[in-house]
Order: sequence, then C-alpha cells, then structure tokens
Amino acid sequence: MILSNVVLQIGQVLCVLLLAPLLQGFILKAEERVQRSRGPSIFQPYRDLWKLFHKQLVVPESASWIYLIAPIVAFTAMLIVPILIPVLTDRPLPQSDMGDMLGGGMILTLGSFAIILAGLDSGNVYGGIGSSRAVMLAILTEPTLILVLVGISLLAKAMLPFVVNHLLLSSASTYWSPAHLFLILAFFALLLVETDRLPIHSSTHLEIYMIDEARILEYSGPLLALLKWASMMKQFILYTIFCNVFILPWGMSQLGTPLGQLGSIGALLLKFLLIALAVVVVETVQSRLRFYRYQEPLAAGFLFAVLAIVSSQLL
Amino acid sequence: MFLAHVNPLQASIFSSLAIVSLLLTFVMLGSHWLRNYVYAFAAQSWLIAALSASVAYFGGYKELYAIAALTALFRGLVLPFLLMGIVAKLNVKREIHAILQPSSSLVLGAFVVMFAFVISNHMNRQPPPAAHVVVLALTIMLSMKFLGFLMLSVRDEAVSQILGLLVLENGIFLGSQILVPGMPLLIEIVILFDLLIVVACFGMLVRFLVVHAGTTSSRALNRLVG
Amino acid sequence: MGPQLLSILFLAPLAAIVLSLGVRNARIAEYATVGAAIIDIIVSVPLLLRTLSGSLFIAHNYVQVDTIGAWVIVCISIVYSLSSIYAVGYMRLLNEEKRLPVFYGLFSGFAFTMLAACVMNNAGVFWIAIELTTLISTFLVGFEREAESTEAAWKYIVVVSGGISLALLGTVLFYWGSSFVLGPSYAMTWVALRQSAPQVYPPLLLVSFLLVLVGYGTKAGLAPMHTWLPDAHSESPAPVSAMLSGALLNASMLGIARFLGVVTGTSVSRFAHSAVVGFGIFSFVLAAFFIVRQSGIKRLMAYSSVEHIGVQALGLGFGGPLGVAGALYHMLNHSLNKSLMFFGAGNAMRAYGSKEIRGIRRVLKVFPISGVLWLLGAIGIAGAPPFALFLSEFTILRAGIGGRYRWAAIVFVVFLIVIFIGFLSHFRAMYFDEASEPEIPRLPWTVWRTLPMWLAFLPLLLLGLWWPHGLWDIFHRVFLDVMGGGQ
Repeated sequence: MILSNVVLQIGQVLCVLLLAPLLQGFILKAEERVQRSRGPSIFQPYRDLWKLFHKQLVVPESASWIYLIAPIVAFTAMLIVPILIPVLTDRPLPQSDMGDMLGGGMILTLGSFAIILAGLDSGNVYGGIGSSRAVMLAILTEPTLILVLVGISLLAKAMLPFVVNHLLLSSASTYWSPAHLFLILAFFALLLVETDRLPIHSSTHLEIYMIDEARILEYSGPLLALLKWASMMKQFILYTIFCNVFILPWGMSQLGTPLGQLGSIGALLLKFLLIALAVVVVETVQSRLRFYRYQEPLAAGFLFAVLAIVSSQLL
Repeated sequence: MFLAHVNPLQASIFSSLAIVSLLLTFVMLGSHWLRNYVYAFAAQSWLIAALSASVAYFGGYKELYAIAALTALFRGLVLPFLLMGIVAKLNVKREIHAILQPSSSLVLGAFVVMFAFVISNHMNRQPPPAAHVVVLALTIMLSMKFLGFLMLSVRDEAVSQILGLLVLENGIFLGSQILVPGMPLLIEIVILFDLLIVVACFGMLVRFLVVHAGTTSSRALNRLVG
Repeated sequence: MGPQLLSILFLAPLAAIVLSLGVRNARIAEYATVGAAIIDIIVSVPLLLRTLSGSLFIAHNYVQVDTIGAWVIVCISIVYSLSSIYAVGYMRLLNEEKRLPVFYGLFSGFAFTMLAACVMNNAGVFWIAIELTTLISTFLVGFEREAESTEAAWKYIVVVSGGISLALLGTVLFYWGSSFVLGPSYAMTWVALRQSAPQVYPPLLLVSFLLVLVGYGTKAGLAPMHTWLPDAHSESPAPVSAMLSGALLNASMLGIARFLGVVTGTSVSRFAHSAVVGFGIFSFVLAAFFIVRQSGIKRLMAYSSVEHIGVQALGLGFGGPLGVAGALYHMLNHSLNKSLMFFGAGNAMRAYGSKEIRGIRRVLKVFPISGVLWLLGAIGIAGAPPFALFLSEFTILRAGIGGRYRWAAIVFVVFLIVIFIGFLSHFRAMYFDEASEPEIPRLPWTVWRTLPMWLAFLPLLLLGLWWPHGLWDIFHRVFLDVMGGGQ
C-alpha cells in the first residue's frame, strides 16, 4: 500500500521532530564513552525537553516581543526545511519545490538569525557577546556554504537536492570525482561549525567562552525547550543533507510504502551513526582553537569548495 | 600525443593523483610546523612517483618505471630525510608567519588556482576528452609554480624557502609526466640528481647561515640594501 | 680541426680543476688556472672562425658549436683569463692560503660549466648547464665567510633557482608545444624548435616564451628580477664579480637570444620582441635610478651591469642585423670594460679597506697609473667615445630609432645621459674631492693586479676606434642562422 503524498510529507517532518533528540543523545553518549566514562542515556534529551516544558517561564523586564517570537520562528523554520530536502523518500514530494537548496539554506539561516536577535534583545552582556561571535562565525561560514551549494549545483546541473541524490546514485564516476570528494570535505568542515562541535565550539559553563550557548542564557521553561529542540533539529537536518545529498545517498524509500518508510528511517539512523562516530572522533582528537585561528578550518573549507568548482569544470 | 588516446579510467587516475598532489601543496602552505611541510612534500613525491608509474603502465613507456623508482627514492626518501636532518639541526620547529597567515595563504592559493585554470584553458586547443586531463595538468603545474613562489615570498625560515623551491620543481615534474612522458630520459634523471645536489648545497649553506649570520630566518638578512 | 679545438677548450679547465683540487697547493692551483684560461682564449678564436663556415655537430648532436655560441665562448674565455690573472694577485691579499686551491677549483669549474652551456644543442641540457653554474657560483660568492657574503650567497641561490625553474617550465612547455608537430619523443635541438615553432598553437608558444624570458632573465639580471645581482656582485671577491658580470650574464643572454630566435618568424614574434624591449628598457631605467643614488663602489658596478644587460636586451629586442650586431658587440665590450672596472674596484677596496664610495678619495695618489686606466674605463662604461661601448650602443640606437620601438630608443638616450652624469659624478668625487684623512693608503704593487687592467683597456680603446670587418661577418652570420634573418 503506497502512502499518500501528504502523509509522507508529514511523516518526514515528524521524523525530524521526534528523532532529533535521539541523535543528540547518541552523540553526547558516544563522546563520553570514547573517553571511557559512562555518559548519559541516549534518551536523556527527551527527558530534558519534557522537564523544560513543565517549568515556569521567566521573562526579563527588558525583553521585547522579539524575545517571545524568536524561539517560535526558529522552531518553525526547522519544521519547514524537512519539507524541502530528501529525508525519507528519494522522489520529490509535492511541496518540496517550494524552495531549492539555496532556499533551504536561507531558511536555516533565518532560524539562526532569529536566535541571534534574541540574544541581543534583552540587553544581557553575555547575550551580546554570544550573538557577535555567532555572527562572526556566520560571516566565515557563509561564503563556503554558498560555494558548496554552487559546486553541487554545477555538478548536478540543477539546484534541487533530489536531482543530486539521483545523480550520485546512478553514476559512480560522479560519486568518486574529485569535485564531489572536495565538496564532502568542505561540507564536513561546515558541519562541524554549524552543529556546535569542536574545534570551534565547546560546551563550557563559563559564559566568557561561550559562543552559541551565550545567546540563550536568558531563556527558561518552554521557550528554552523550543530553542534547544530547534538546535537539535538543525543538527539533524544538516546531517540529513550531508548524508542524503552528499556522502551516503543510499537507503531511501522509493515507493512510499509504510514498510519502506520504516526501513528508510532505520537506514537514516544507521547513516547518522557513522557520521556521528566520525564527528566524535574528530572532536576527541581536537582541542579548541584560539579565536584568531577560527579562520583556518573555514579557509580550508573555502579552499576545498573552490577546488571542487574548478575541478567540476575540468572533469 | 599520448593524452589523445586516454580512456576515462586512466584519465581519472591521473587526475586524482595530480589533484591530491596539489592538495598536499596546500597542506604545506597552511601548516605551522616545519615537520609537517617535510612530510607533505614526501607524500607529494610519492604520489608523483605513482603517477609516473601509472603513465608508464598505460602508455607503455618502459623508462618511466625507472624514473618512478628514482623519484620515490630520491624525492620521497632521501630528500625528506636530509631536510629533516637540517630541521633537527637547526632546532627550529615552528614557522612564525609575519607576513601572511596560513588561512589567508589558503584563500590566496584558491584564487591562484582559479587564475592558473584560466591561463591553462587559454593555452589548450585539444578537443575533449583529452582536453580535460591536459587542462588539469597545466592548471596543476602552473598552480604549484605560483604556490611555490607564494611560499618563497611569505616565508621567513630558510627550510621553508628550500621547500618552496622543491615544490616548484615538483610541479614541473608532475606536469611533464602527464604532458610529455616521451621527453628524453636524460633530462629527467639529471633533474632528479640535480635536486639532490641542490639540497646538499642548501644544507651546507644553511649551516653557514647559522654560523655566520647567526640565524636562518631571512628577516634577519637585511644587511645588504640599496 | 673543430672537434679537437673544442676538446682542448674543455680539457684545459678540467685539468685545472683536477690539479687545483688534487694537489692542494695554492701556487700550483694559481698557475694551473691561469694556464688553462690562456689556452682557452688561444683556442676559442680559431673555433669562432671555424664556425663561420658552418656549425659543428658533435656527440650525436648533443654538442653544437654555432657562431653565436662560439662568440659567447670568446667573451667568456677573455673574462676567464683576465680574471684568473687578477685573482692570483687579489686572492693573495685575503689571507686564505688553505682554501685557495678550493677557490681555484671552483673558479675553473665555473668557467667550465659556462663554456659547456654555450655549446649545448638541447634546450633541456642547456638548462642543466645553467643550473650547474648557479650551484658552483654560489660557493664562490659566499667564499669569504662573512655574514654579508653568506647573506648574499643565500639570496643569490634562492632567487636564481626560483627564476630558472620558471625557465624549466617554459622549456617543458616548448617541448610539449612542438611535440604536436614533431611527435611525442624527439631531440629538442634549437633547429628543431625553430622549425616547428610556426605550427605551435600561438598562445602556448607565447606563454612558453614569456616564461623562458623571465626565467633566464632572472639569471641574466633583467629588472625586476635583478634583486640578487647587487648583493652577489658586491659581496663576492673581485675576480668572481668580474666573472659573474662579464661571463655569466652573457651565457644567460645567450639562452634568451636562442629562444628569441626560435619564435622569430611566428605570429607571436612581435609580442616577444616587445617583451624583450620592455624588460630591457625597464632594467635600464631602474639601473639609472640606482646608479645615481649609490653608496657602495661594487654595488655601483653591479647596477651598471644591470644597465648594460638592459642594453643588450634592447639590441636583441630591436632585432634586425643592426640590433643583433650591436647586442653581440656589446657583449664583448661589456665583458672587457666591466672586468676593468671590477679590477679597479677590487684594488681600491683592498687599499682603502672600505666598500663605500665616500671612503675612497684621491685615487690618483694611491694608484697613479692604474687609477688613470680605471677612470678611463669609467668614462667608457658610461658610454662615451672613443671607447668600444659607445660604438655598440650607437649601433643599437640606430637599430631602434628607425622602427616601431622609437619610444624605447628615446628613453634609452635620455637615461643614458642620466647614467653618464650619475656614474661619473661618483668617480669625480673619488678622484678629485678632498679627503678627510691626510694619510694616503698604500697597496704593494704587483703585476698580477695591474696587467689585467691593461689587457682589458687596450682592446677596449682599439675596438672603440676600429670595428673589425671580420666581426661584421660573424654578426651577420648569427643574424641569419640564429635570430631568424634567413626566413
């Protein structure tokens, strides 16, 4: 029995919504296990969200309506993006031509932008620091992100992620072409930065060293839960793009049967396992870079993106 | 021309080897530690030797097997060994980047590659599919030249400057293996030995620099002006 | 007859090397070097005359002695002999008895590699010979193990190696371009390159030529690649400076000339000639500025070398029988004159103990006779008659003023005046200004240090008054064979 398109589309969004905390839990546990401690349970982020939703909301006096709107904007943006990208099925669903890759990237950035505004809004010092650092990183990563999207569009001669997915599945020479490999490396560098991993971010309780966590210091209760959930979903979405569009395009449901969907979810989780392990290894090996050296991994990513574009013209 | 009859598999092998060599040049450009430079150079030389061997295999140039072996031996083992000896003797581990930070060099290098691509495209009049490998070989040859000169200009340490010169020659070697594998053997052998002599001379010179000028950083070589 | 002459030409310095390094005796090394140099110059003239009746091809076409190669061999041999005679007297002043045999071994090795470069028929092997000259001369430049000499030697080898690697790239691209015409594997002789050049894809040919021009131009001292030249020439011992200026720059110009001959007659010929003229004029103008504001005596001579290499490049770039003749005659005259100047400068430095111009005053009191020679040499090198450089520069001017490079000829004349004034004002200060110290330095007179100055001066005066007709034949033959006149 083939499910209808609406069901499939809603199913994709629900998948992202419900499985994002699982991915986060897995990464945290894996990091701890690599360092030979026990680590939290992989379902801990669910419990954290549940706890936060039942807590009281405390709003600072100096906050404006942006303070209340921003988490909702971020959360909603993260709900829209799964409609546009291949998550479970590899054929485009009706609403997925609402936006192409560039559109998806813009909506993701919209979510981040909303949170940056929120960090500035209440006038908290640490919020300001966090927002300014986040913007600086955004300045460093945006060119690479654009070039990666341009590169992949040049490779597939289309801007839809589904076309890229089909191309990689059908043509092994494209998969192994230098352009594609460089794009994978460039996007991996971006992935590390955007999902708050070392060598740029580290989870620390000292506000002076925070980058992204400083923006949400003023939040509490349900709004904080929305923000945390939004960042977990962003991580999930970026992993999805990385797997389904770049590195591991296999294992997606083609027909749309329920069994196919479940299998697709399972394949997705398996792919994420591999990527998460790679990320954890990189994190464990690296220490945090000095502020002035943030440009280095991102310059390397930029370089890879440029090389990818040049080699796509050559081969 | 040899490249006119190359099939996609061969083209992709040559291309990958050449591109990874270029990547190693960027590793050299972007790292802080002198030892990493030498390791990247050694890896690059091994890749070029592998390229020679594959050209020999696919093109039927038997002499190139000898060239590949010599390249792997001299440029891949002996030269890095000598350079590591110099680095150890000098007691300098890190390059202080006074003019251009590694990340800026990487970005500049990316633009250089684009420039080299434009020139190479202009110089080529082969039809595809040979055109791709030809333009790639020319691009990589020219970019390694430019990157070598970049390393020469912005680096202070004597060893980094030697490595810049070696990267220049590596680039030419890489390009010539793909474009003109039939070039008489004599030249390539002598180029290889030539490098050995060059590094020996440099080794002696570096010793003189330390003894008489007191330092190997070229920031200190400012007595002769005007 | 020809092959025997050639073998004597090469065996002589080889024997000198073996004797110097084998028998570690300074006196034997000195006499062996002088002997080898004199043998070379005796042998090179008949060799030149022999090539007028056709080029020699020896050793499976790897060795080719044609007219231009033989001409440069003559220039190199002249400088070799003059410098080796001078070196005997000069090096004894350095108190380095133990290392002198190594010096003379390297000296003859340097001459050997330069001579070898002139006869190489294969563009790649030519490059190898030039690279070997760089390696050997680095140790000569850094011979006095001072901080400044080591710094100069380091800058020399880094800049020049970088430059000639560009020339190697150009050579490889030339080979590749011609491989479309001649097949994937062929011997890259100059004749083969010239014959296949018209059929090579023009942008490729142009890029290859420009790379070779910049590469060998670094070695020749064309601006803006000349940055190693003042340091290397001023820090090396005076005989080595003379060899570097008088012989090595000529060998590199030979490379540029040969490649220019390869592309003459193709569609890129005009751009190529313009590029050579451009570099020549730029060198000339830049050297003029540095000569006017110069404080070191040997650096002054080094910038004068940059100037004259610019003039030679102008001559080659202007082209035509007059331009080529002027450039080649200039090679000979510059070798003679620059050797004279460096010998004088070396004497002055040793006597006054200073490299600065302001430390040298009242030269005529210290050097009554050789001082006069030095002053006359300075007038000659600034381009005044009746000395030979005037004739060659005038010829080059005639070649340029008629054609489309008139602008370059005019700039040439204007800056020639600037250089004349600037250069001679330094000499006026050295000869006729008052000195601050009353005491006059003394340097013991030896024939070794003054004879070469006479030997360099007399031909300079002679050639300035009389241009032998035989030389016209040689230059015309070069124009026809090598520089594309025959097409």
